[in-house]
Amino acid sequence: MTTTPTQAVHWDLHYDIHLGATWSRFMDGLRDRKILANVCPSCDRVFVPPQAYCESCFERTDRWVELPPEGSLEVFTVAWHGFRGGPTPPYAIGGIRLDGASTLLMHWVIGLDFTEPTTLLAQLPAGSRVRAVWAPQRTGQILDIAHFEPDRD
Amino acid sequence: MPYRAAVVGAGITDATSPRKQQLSAVELCQQATWAALDHAGTTPDTLDGVVVGNIDGFEGTVLGARNLTRALGLGADLPVTIINTGGTTGGNLMQVAARMVRSGSHARVLCLGGPTFFGVRDLQSAINTNSPMIIEQPLGMGAYHMGAFAANAYRQRYGLTPEDLAAVVVADHEKASRNPHAHLRYTVTEDEVVNGRPLSSPLTQPMVCPVSAAAVAMIVADADDVDDLRSTPALIRAMGMSSDPYLGGGKGDFAEMQNLATLARRVYALADVRDPAAEFDVVEIFAPYAHMQPMQLEALQLAPPGGGVELIRSGATSAGGSLPTNLSGGPKCTNAGVAGELAPYAYAALQVMGAAPEPIQVPGARRALAHGTGGTFFQFENLAIFEALPRSDA
Amino acid sequence: MPPRPPRPVRRMAPVHVVGLAATPFLPEQDAMLDELVFDVTYAALRECGLRKQDLGLSVMASLDVLDGRSISSGLYTAAAGGYLNDAFRIEGDSGLAVIAAAEAVAAGDVEVAVAVGVYNPEVRSADREARRSFLAQVSNLGFEPHFDRPVGLTAEVVYALHAAHTLESGGEDLDAFARLAAEEITRGSERPRSVRTAPVTAQEVLASEQVAAPLRELMLPAHSTGAVAVVLASPARAGRCLGRSARITGFGHATGGYTWDGRWLSDPAAPTRRATRIAYGQAGISAAAEQVGLVELTAPTPALHAPYLGALGLAASLGDKDVNASGGARSNFPGLANGALRLLEVVEQLESRAGASTAVAHSVDTGTGLVSEDVSVLVVEAA
Repeated sequence: MTTTPTQAVHWDLHYDIHLGATWSRFMDGLRDRKILANVCPSCDRVFVPPQAYCESCFERTDRWVELPPEGSLEVFTVAWHGFRGGPTPPYAIGGIRLDGASTLLMHWVIGLDFTEPTTLLAQLPAGSRVRAVWAPQRTGQILDIAHFEPDRD
Repeated sequence: MPYRAAVVGAGITDATSPRKQQLSAVELCQQATWAALDHAGTTPDTLDGVVVGNIDGFEGTVLGARNLTRALGLGADLPVTIINTGGTTGGNLMQVAARMVRSGSHARVLCLGGPTFFGVRDLQSAINTNSPMIIEQPLGMGAYHMGAFAANAYRQRYGLTPEDLAAVVVADHEKASRNPHAHLRYTVTEDEVVNGRPLSSPLTQPMVCPVSAAAVAMIVADADDVDDLRSTPALIRAMGMSSDPYLGGGKGDFAEMQNLATLARRVYALADVRDPAAEFDVVEIFAPYAHMQPMQLEALQLAPPGGGVELIRSGATSAGGSLPTNLSGGPKCTNAGVAGELAPYAYAALQVMGAAPEPIQVPGARRALAHGTGGTFFQFENLAIFEALPRSDA
Repeated sequence: MPPRPPRPVRRMAPVHVVGLAATPFLPEQDAMLDELVFDVTYAALRECGLRKQDLGLSVMASLDVLDGRSISSGLYTAAAGGYLNDAFRIEGDSGLAVIAAAEAVAAGDVEVAVAVGVYNPEVRSADREARRSFLAQVSNLGFEPHFDRPVGLTAEVVYALHAAHTLESGGEDLDAFARLAAEEITRGSERPRSVRTAPVTAQEVLASEQVAAPLRELMLPAHSTGAVAVVLASPARAGRCLGRSARITGFGHATGGYTWDGRWLSDPAAPTRRATRIAYGQAGISAAAEQVGLVELTAPTPALHAPYLGALGLAASLGDKDVNASGGARSNFPGLANGALRLLEVVEQLESRAGASTAVAHSVDTGTGLVSEDVSVLVVEAA
């Protein structure tokens, strides 16, 4: 078989992503161990992560509320393989509905026994209660919440 | 004055893994374009526009489609419109072209989907840049993790087993084994799928699409100006798109595809489809992961809630069944990026034109449904309904 | 059967412009992209008394690589009113988004559509050299990877090659380029949307920073960032709207050849000529010099001004005040939002000036300069 001729081409760009007013305020809140959500003035949906606008009513969100650092785990998956620049596998990512939120917050979930892959769903069934654990050093980014842990009380 | 639009030609290249592909992206696109022109029975000089898909971050280019299209030699200054909506790019190419034709501003438009994933070394890293940065990306949230969420939620809702998901894969591979253009043409067993390399629970490697190199082209034309063509047009009877919000957290329910379900109602109404399971002769849906096809069948009103796997196990969606679905093998067995997204549209159109590859042609197919999905957490959906438009001169 | 040539251009049903809104144009927007898109879409809908629920289609124009993420429109499709609705994104100038939205209305598929262009490259503007270097790198990545990227082709290089070619072929001299740039910048300097806010002389243009010989900083577009939204409606639906009263009667699009055919050097206005032929044909314009009263054209260098104006059939007929009354791209050029901005400018000029009833908005995508140049031409009439 002939070898397929290829040439190495590299694509590497550096960015400074504009956070905007809405996410800046959320990130500032994390630094102070606060999970801030905002509210649609028209339909009262509560967004976390916050949104500048409600996609359904097409109105700018205005009011801010602080949500408790606990809620229900609606869904999760365990990533068995990593990728360049990503976390070290295995790790579990969940969709968490904080109490009072209309949307899901994505975050890491700990407390699973990864040595038992066939029982993962049984270990944390949909609706399991989880609680945010704060990182000791907080710098205004999503990993200021270290992870969520099962609330087994 | 508005006009009607139809697909009058489609060309699909054989697919391989990128590693085994001997042709360049340009050469693959050229092959697909020539095949589409040949199928229609026309020449490049009758084209008055090109709509092409391109996902820069995945391809290591910026608007590579633009110089690629010029390299095809399709005529001076032919307008090139570049669409990028992730996994719906392919299907949207046809919808944008159809609007150009329906408005009367264009008469014949080439839709071109190239091998998006061709040549990327760190493909998973590239794909993961579409997961929401700042908020969701730092968590190691990538493409198939987003897929796995739905798989888990769906399993829990309906008590499905890994074997149920595997059954979908077994059926897709069996179909692909008969499609000469497909990439993975081997058959698999449920055991092999369940015991495959675990990726992101509950998905195993065999439950996830391959990375393929191929190209697909399609010509969308004025449906009532086809005297110089030789194909049987596939009339674009109805079409539509629908979008969810950006953040995965904005999905109402991972266990059902509400965005697709509302789009299906809208598009069915446009085409007067009242009993979808009975009225479609053939269906091609974009289902790169095992759990997606049954969920989509449910959202499309082709199976009852939780009944998608049972429908697939029953053989109804196989060749000779009452609802032949993804006879191409679908993206589960061939996924060349934008080409892979255009493929359901091309196969569905080819079926009603009576021009699908012979081993997968549904005899006498008259009405077909084509579907695409993609974007962050599969936030975008698109659908189109094709109907055979017998020629008056036939 | 012998091959048949493309069908002649057909007249189009008019599409009305009912809402137009823009962000302020700044060196850099301190906002998430979806906030910019939402703000202009919301304002443009408000202006004509429509709601998100009235939209049949949202078309966005942007570029992943500037937005710093793949499938970047995923972030702002909902902000353009696309939630649970038809929406797609074109990678290119917003003039193309306006055309795609107009086609959906003309096709009878939707009654109301919005086109949004957004441009705020995700890099800091404070370090001008770093930003210029980033944009040049993005431009370079737009060229073919095996032949042209390695030798460092960028849009500025291509524009400079063309300008040098024009000078050498003796058509014009550098002083004429400087005079044109100075006139445009000075004319635009008092307009609220301009980012070059002081009058300049030809000498100052010639003394401005060297970019790529023979081009100087002040001969090139005045780079800014921002977003522009355009709400379009069918004639009947427009009758029930508040706000603007203009209609698009023709829209043409063409894309030029790649480096190797050399026409970008010898006949750079060819894509503009093709787009113009289609737009005028649709609008029923047979004698542009008599019928068109004003134009906003986008000539990224002074060397392209005369060729583009000629391709539009307006070389001899219009006075200084009728060509780029806004100051054109040398007063404000918000990247991919430019096409929608040129439409906004001509609609406002039609509204404010007695006499002019037909105008042209011309825009180009400067991503790879004259190579594979994307051109849009819109014919706009006062309604």
